[in-house]
Amino acid sequence: MTLVLDGLRKRFGDVQALDGVGFTVRPGEVFGFLGANGAGKTTSMRIVLGFLKPDAGTVTWQGQPARAWPRRTWGYMPEERGLYLRMPVLEQLVYYASLYGVPRRVARQEALRWLARFRIAEFADRKAESLSKGNQQKVQYIATILHDPDVLLMDEPFVGLDPVNVALLKEAFVEMRDRGKTLIFSTHQLEQAEELCDSVAIIDHGHIVTAGSTRDVKRSTGHQVIRVATSGDGDLAWLRSLPYVTVTRPGNDYTELRVDAGSDPQAVLRAAMARGGDVLRFEVADPSLEEVFVERVGALDVEERTLAAGEARR
Amino acid sequence: MSTVSNIGAIARREYTTRMRTRSFVIGTALLVIGVVVIAFLPVIVRAFEGSSTSRVAVVAPTEALGERASMTITSLLNSSVVGSSDDDAPDFVVTVVDDLAAARADVLAGSFSAVLGIERSTAGALEFTLYTNDSATGKTAGLLQQGANAIAIGDRLDRLGVASVDQASLFAPAEFGVQWPDPERTDPIRDTMAATIGQDMLAFGMTILIFMIIIMYGNWIAMSVVEEKSSRVMEVVLNAATPFQLLTGKVFGVGAVAFTQYAAILVTGGLSLLLQGQVASAVLGEAGTSAALPEGLTMELLLLFVAYGILGFLVYAVLYAAAASLVSKMEDVNMVVMPMTLVSTGGYIIGIYAAMGLLDIRAAWIVALSQVPLLSPFMMLGRISTGVAAPWEIVVSLGLLVLFIGAALWLAARVYAAGVLLYGQRPGLRAVLRLVRTGM
Repeated sequence: MTLVLDGLRKRFGDVQALDGVGFTVRPGEVFGFLGANGAGKTTSMRIVLGFLKPDAGTVTWQGQPARAWPRRTWGYMPEERGLYLRMPVLEQLVYYASLYGVPRRVARQEALRWLARFRIAEFADRKAESLSKGNQQKVQYIATILHDPDVLLMDEPFVGLDPVNVALLKEAFVEMRDRGKTLIFSTHQLEQAEELCDSVAIIDHGHIVTAGSTRDVKRSTGHQVIRVATSGDGDLAWLRSLPYVTVTRPGNDYTELRVDAGSDPQAVLRAAMARGGDVLRFEVADPSLEEVFVERVGALDVEERTLAAGEARR
Repeated sequence: MSTVSNIGAIARREYTTRMRTRSFVIGTALLVIGVVVIAFLPVIVRAFEGSSTSRVAVVAPTEALGERASMTITSLLNSSVVGSSDDDAPDFVVTVVDDLAAARADVLAGSFSAVLGIERSTAGALEFTLYTNDSATGKTAGLLQQGANAIAIGDRLDRLGVASVDQASLFAPAEFGVQWPDPERTDPIRDTMAATIGQDMLAFGMTILIFMIIIMYGNWIAMSVVEEKSSRVMEVVLNAATPFQLLTGKVFGVGAVAFTQYAAILVTGGLSLLLQGQVASAVLGEAGTSAALPEGLTMELLLLFVAYGILGFLVYAVLYAAAASLVSKMEDVNMVVMPMTLVSTGGYIIGIYAAMGLLDIRAAWIVALSQVPLLSPFMMLGRISTGVAAPWEIVVSLGLLVLFIGAALWLAARVYAAGVLLYGQRPGLRAVLRLVRTGM
């Protein structure tokens, strides 16, 4: 009862876009697909949706090949937003839904409900080109879910949205998850993924680096993070003298440390107390997804690490 | 969703959006107005001319000469050969007057359109002078000059002593026939003006209409495909519908738009022709003449025009759509549809030249080319309307066209499926062939 990608390989000309991509998404969860531009996120999604044929590997949903499921099973929001610019918003939403077999009357009602919910009801009869980018994106999201798909695949859904609209979209995600839908979205904004996702997969150069529940992935490095503040701060020499500790973020309020795998974080607390003075703050946490990502893949360099050129060339 | 209902939904969207565009509404309105104006042109011209009768005064030195001039002009110039075909009102009404100065004043006043002054020179020959405000090289002047020649010849015969009874037989027209150089050829030769114009213009007009449908709406389909790609709607729609559904829906939708536009034109054109008589009698106060359909316009020809129009449109439409799917920018559309534009223009020019008689429509290479699926929509109608295409040739060309549409659709669907997700550079021919072979 899961979405399983297994051993997907895809080559475009000289570029090996996917080199054995495999992971599992459980039904009803929110799944984050993390990677730099060109890492293979879009290609993977297009293969799941059947737009592209993999050179090798399979995609199954609930044990059946993904392509065998009716189209209305899937909702897809491409990274590049696409609407008929000269067509009124409501009319085109009804059109998209009708392609999945949703009766026009039902589609109309649902579309109006979602437009109101996203606070853009007044644009229903306007042409899409008269809407702002953010509002177009909300229309695009409605187009993705209007036929009530079981699996939603969204490519970078948060890009270009202001904080208010990000919050609206997150609420909508949660609602879809509560309805039992499976949500998969790709992003390179790791804090969004950390907040929303039950599970994540990190992809780099067509390989899955790590995948699993968000908590497991965060713990997968073995490191732990400590945030500590003591009276008479400013002198970090004592921390740097600890052999199994790396100062990752010196700050005014507290200092953030990374503790090597296998070492006991409590040793840092003992060292702080042994130093005399007060311990004002001491917190042990898992590393953030961003830290995991940086450690496993390297810093996200959106501009340079792009295979997009290669993908365009195929 | 089922293929049929998706194709229907896609075609419907294409149709309704296109029909609403201002350019379509204005363009169709202009075409309809143009058709009505052309259809009613004869009536309009006559309405502006007022009465089509020219009143001509003749001033002659003797009464007998005046009589002769009056009779000659009336009988010669009102005959059906030179005059207009309707015989309700004579083209020329001739009045013999005495006073040249008064008659010239009457022309100025508008009661005569011209005065023909006749004098006899000292040598005995007649000299004619036309006093008119109309063009000296116009139709009235030209016809009156013919009349003057006839009067002068009759006068010379008089002076040579030929009796006027014999003169009538002298002026009787000779038998004159035209035949094909090829003794085997049996199709009727077009020996009247109306038949020549009717058949040439029919084939010419129908071929132009087909060419216009293909070029105009083919480009429309191409732009519609690229619009979906460049606006990235393609990926959204592709999740719901297959490339084949998108392709066929688009072709049917735009085809329906073309059909609507042509139906509007043909219906207004047909109604205009049918109503011409009534409108003419209402506007001009003449007795109603019956509707005059162009000579040679038969139901078979009309049906074949529709068949070649629809099949020609379909074959080009799928090719235009497939070609356009390979590019993602509007600027590249013209470039990528160039092969279709060249082939259709070539077929059109040869077809038109053959229909007009500038190329020998019976030449072997024209007969052969007229069977080629991409060319037959432009070339067969000319051959059919001139009666040089055998029935089996028509059947074969239509059959080939249908088969070719099937093949084009298969090819186009594969190119389209691979092309619609293709962004960036335009792929070369090799890359396209690889895409067709391997799918995506």
